[in-house]
Order: sequence, then C-alpha cells, then structure tokens
Amino acid sequence: MREEISIWFFAGVLFLIYGVIITSQGLWELSHPLVNPPVLYYLHAPIWWGAMMTVAGLSYTIRFWPRRIR
Amino acid sequence: MQLQPFVAFSTYFAAPVHSLAHLNAIDIAVIAIYFAIVIFIGFYLKGSANTSEEFFMAGREMTAWIAGLSFVSANLGSLELMGWAGSAYQYGILATHWYWIGAIPAMLFLGIIMMPFYYISKVNSVPGYLHLRYGDGARALSAVSFAFMTVLMSGINMYSMALVMKVVLGWNLNFSIWVSSITVALYVGLGGLRSAIYNEVLQFLLIWLGALLVPILGLIDAGGWTNLKHQIGARLGSEYVHLWSTTGHFSENPMGIHWTGLVFGLALVISCGYWTTDFLVVQRVLSANNLRSARMAPIIGAAFKMAVPFIVILPGLLALAVLPYHLVGESQAVATGQHSYNEVLPLMLVRYCGPGLLGLGVTALIAGFMSGMAGNVSAFSTVWTYDIYGAFLNKKATDQHYVAMGRWCTFIGVLISVGTAYLVQHAASIMDYVQGLFSFFIAPLFGTVILGMLWKRTTKAGGFWGLLAGTSTAIGLFLWVHFDPSALRYVALSASAKTLAEDMYRALWSWLVCVIVTVVVSYATKPKPVSELEGLVYGVVPLPVEHDDHWYQKPIVWAGMIAVLFVILNIIFW
Repeated sequence: MREEISIWFFAGVLFLIYGVIITSQGLWELSHPLVNPPVLYYLHAPIWWGAMMTVAGLSYTIRFWPRRIR
Repeated sequence: MQLQPFVAFSTYFAAPVHSLAHLNAIDIAVIAIYFAIVIFIGFYLKGSANTSEEFFMAGREMTAWIAGLSFVSANLGSLELMGWAGSAYQYGILATHWYWIGAIPAMLFLGIIMMPFYYISKVNSVPGYLHLRYGDGARALSAVSFAFMTVLMSGINMYSMALVMKVVLGWNLNFSIWVSSITVALYVGLGGLRSAIYNEVLQFLLIWLGALLVPILGLIDAGGWTNLKHQIGARLGSEYVHLWSTTGHFSENPMGIHWTGLVFGLALVISCGYWTTDFLVVQRVLSANNLRSARMAPIIGAAFKMAVPFIVILPGLLALAVLPYHLVGESQAVATGQHSYNEVLPLMLVRYCGPGLLGLGVTALIAGFMSGMAGNVSAFSTVWTYDIYGAFLNKKATDQHYVAMGRWCTFIGVLISVGTAYLVQHAASIMDYVQGLFSFFIAPLFGTVILGMLWKRTTKAGGFWGLLAGTSTAIGLFLWVHFDPSALRYVALSASAKTLAEDMYRALWSWLVCVIVTVVVSYATKPKPVSELEGLVYGVVPLPVEHDDHWYQKPIVWAGMIAVLFVILNIIFW
C-alpha cells in the first residue's frame, strides 16, 4: 500500500520541472542572445533563478517521495 | 494532424500587434504544465472527498502549515495582487497598511482568542456558529449576504484578471475567463476543500516563485531602497514613502486618510471582520487536524502575510521610479490607450523577465486568480449546502445527497461568477463599489460574532437585530454620500477624505451601531441558559488545555514574535 502523495511532493516536482526548463532557456540564451532583451539581461536571471528552483525542487521531490507503507 | 491542437491553443496565447508582451513556446509550456498539475491534483483527490466532512472540511486533517498557507493564499486573489500593486503606484507605501495593520493584528487575534470557540464548537461555517449562538435568523441573514458577496467578488476577480491579460498579453477575454474558471470548477468539484487547499498551497509557492524576481531585479535597477526613496521623493514627494508620519491630516497624504480611520476603521473593524468572520478564509483554518494546528495556522499565515508587500507593494513603488511612462486610472486608460495602475505588476514582469521567466510570472498571476476563485467557490458551496439548503430547504437529506449538492454548487457558483464577470464588463462602475459592498456585511458581522463569543448575556434577538441594524446603517451611509457628496464630512469626518477613508469610517459606524443595538436589545430580552452556551462563549466552560512539550511550541510565543516584528517594521517605515 502506498501512502497519500504529500502536497510538498507536488510542489517539488513542479519546481524541478520549472527549474530545468528555465535554466536550460538561460543557458541557451548564452549562445543565442535575445533580439529584444529585458532590462538587466546581463545578470542572466534565468540561469541562477532556474538553478535555485532545480535544487529546491529536487530536494523536496526526494524528501517527500511517496513510499510504500505497511 | 498532431500539431493542430497546439496551433489552436497557441493562437489564443499568441499576442496580437497591440499587446505589450509576446509569450513563446517555453512560456506556454510553463503555463500548460501548471494547468496539468492542478487538474491532476483534483482527479487524484477525488477519492478523498466522499463524505460531507471530507468534501466541505477536508476531513479536518490539515496540518498547521498547510492550513496556514492556504489561509493566506485564498486571500491572495488577482485583485489582491494586481489591485494593491496598482494602489502602491497610485498612493505609495500607504497601501502596505492593508497588509500590516489591516491584517496582522486580526490574524493573531483569530489564532489566540477566537479559534478555540470556532474549533471546539465543531461548526462547519461561520453562519453555523451564528446558528448555535443566535438561532436561524442571524444564520440566514449572514449566509445569504455571504453567498451574494462571494460570487460577486469571484466574478470581479475574474474580470480584472482577464482584462489585464488582454491588455498586456493580448489574450482573448472569453478565453481567459472560461479556461481558468472551468479548471477551478473541475478541481474543486472533484476533490472538494482538500483539493482547493492543496492547490492553494501550490499556488502560494508559485506566486512567490514567479513574482519575487521583480522586486529583486527592480531594487538592483533602482540602485537600492535608499535610492528608490530619493527618486520617488524627488518626483512625487516624501509622503509616498512614509507609512504613518503623514496620516495626521486627511490632506497630507495621497490616500486622503487619517490615522484614526486606519487604527479603528481598518484594523479594529474591517480587518478583524474579514480575517475572523469571512468564511472564505476561516474555512481553511477549520480544516486543521487539531486545536493547536487551528491556532497556529493563522499565526503562520500572519508571518507570510507580513512578507507579501515585498512582491506586491514594492513592485508598485519601483514602477514609480523606473518605468519610463506614467500609468493612469482605468477609465482614462480606456479612453486614451495608456496603461492603467492595475497593470503595473504585469508591466514590471515584462520589463525584467525574458522567455521562461515571463511564463512563470504569468503563471503566478493566474495562480493568484485561481486560488482566490477556488476559495470563493468552495466557501460558497459550503455555506449554500450547510446554511441555506440543508438548514432551510431540505433538512433531512442523506450525507451523499449533501456531497452531490456541494459538487453541483461548485459548478453553479463558477457559472454565476462567470455571469458576474460579464456583468462587470458592461457595468464597470461596480468595481468602484467593491470595497464599499465589502464593508456592508463584514463590519456588522464582526460585531455580532465577537459579542456572541465574549459576552454570555447576548441574546438571540440582540444578535439578529444588531446585525440587521449594522448592515442597514452601512447601506444607509453609503447611499447618503452617494446622493449627497457633501455628507462625506459627517460620515468620514472630513470633506478631504477619499474613498478608502470613507469605507473605513462607514465600517466603524456600522460596527458601533451593531454593537449598541445588540447590547440594548440583549438587556431587554431573555438570555439563553448558561448550559446552552457551553463551548460557544468565553468563560462559560474552560477551554481544552494544550500540552506543548517546549515553551517555543506554544502559539502565544509565536504570535508574540510576529507582533514584535510587526511593530519594528512599522517603526522602520514610519
């Protein structure tokens, strides 16, 4: 029997998916700069913000992974 | 063709020439993933919403953290996010009062003083408490006014979000309204309150994730807080960056308010009324798994609420300094094609966020709207089923029948909200009266509930006539000023007072009338025997003793820490 999936697991998965997508986009922009960049583009916010989400998402996904219970 | 659905979907998202921002495939993927997860949660929790206790009260199994985050999230609708960011642009830092003095003391009061009575009486709703304390008259009056206000607010939230999405992203108004409302109806209708709460927690995290970059990048852009204050001061005057020092006179601050209105009207009446008697938020706390969690939930909520100005008020202030153009009021924006105050948050997102991050920011705005709407429809369906249908129309139905009624009510509540959104589209002036409407019902209700909880002499007739007199006073004062604007100097104590100040004083007077009438009528009528008041009134029966292992686990300790931080923040930004 599996335990009920925790809300924090859902949050972890969502953060992880978003983190991977946004970090990848930021890395892609390093070699393919935007034609109309936003203000402060040179700070590469997608890379560090996405990386932070990836780390947070991964840790929550592992910590709250639904486990088998008796 | 495999690609056809995506093409059809993207034609709605693709911005026309006049929109401010363009979403690309990454942004659309971010938004689509969000919708997929919230609907999945609804289907996943469908099996946990079979009894009325599960559907309407989430089985009373929520932890303090989940109930606390959901408590704040249900309040963080699109009007709250975009509307108050716009107010910060319009009035400066004074808008923060609605997050601090207009929320924190009331939330702590709910957790420490009022929650034990709601929780140990095991009521399912605030009108349900009124029924136990005052009988059917007060319950009916409160339930009907709450149901009306809830769907009205839900529709207004929906329209305001769809309008901003149309202006900033070029989305079709009908598309925004229907897609988001069908999604909410699906996940709340399937999984009940548990699904609404789970999604609200997720939405709260998403709101922070998507909106937090704006103040961070904005502060870098403006050269830090000190530079921001200097820039706003030089451009508009220092009254835009002070919380209290300009509230000594109505005409000395951009909001036209006085500190007495803030302290007595906003903090004592409107805020306490909203945070302690509005079932939209109280329902989240009632779902807690024990009394300690129920008391801690509003305290946890208060800590997060205190931080919300960072993602709502600060972007509005930053826009005053960094945006190269000026924003105007809604009616002027429609007439001239300029951007309105209400669009400040999406405009700041567009300024700092490229592909991916923009999708995340837009998802945050949608999440804000959906959490507010889910809160409204789940509370509406509970009050309708328990306090109108089950109390007056069909008292002896089975539990399964009430669950089915709750599910149908969720869909019907969404449909009425959609209808209200279209009504608002054709009668925009309704938007101007929202705050006023709010004070009609909430302020007197707080008087009735607080007297019922703290004073055992309050009688059934006193509660009913007090509530009716308070509500009538609020409506009467509103109509007086509406038809004779010079009456403002009596209602709001100054001819210089502006709309928000008028709302505060009207709430204060209607609350006072409610309290006075309740006391007078109670003394003239026969009270209930004390034996019938157990668990409902302070001092009648001892409250259950909570056994915390350590001093730092006590709710009062955490409430004290939040209170100290609240005072420090007000002094810093004085």
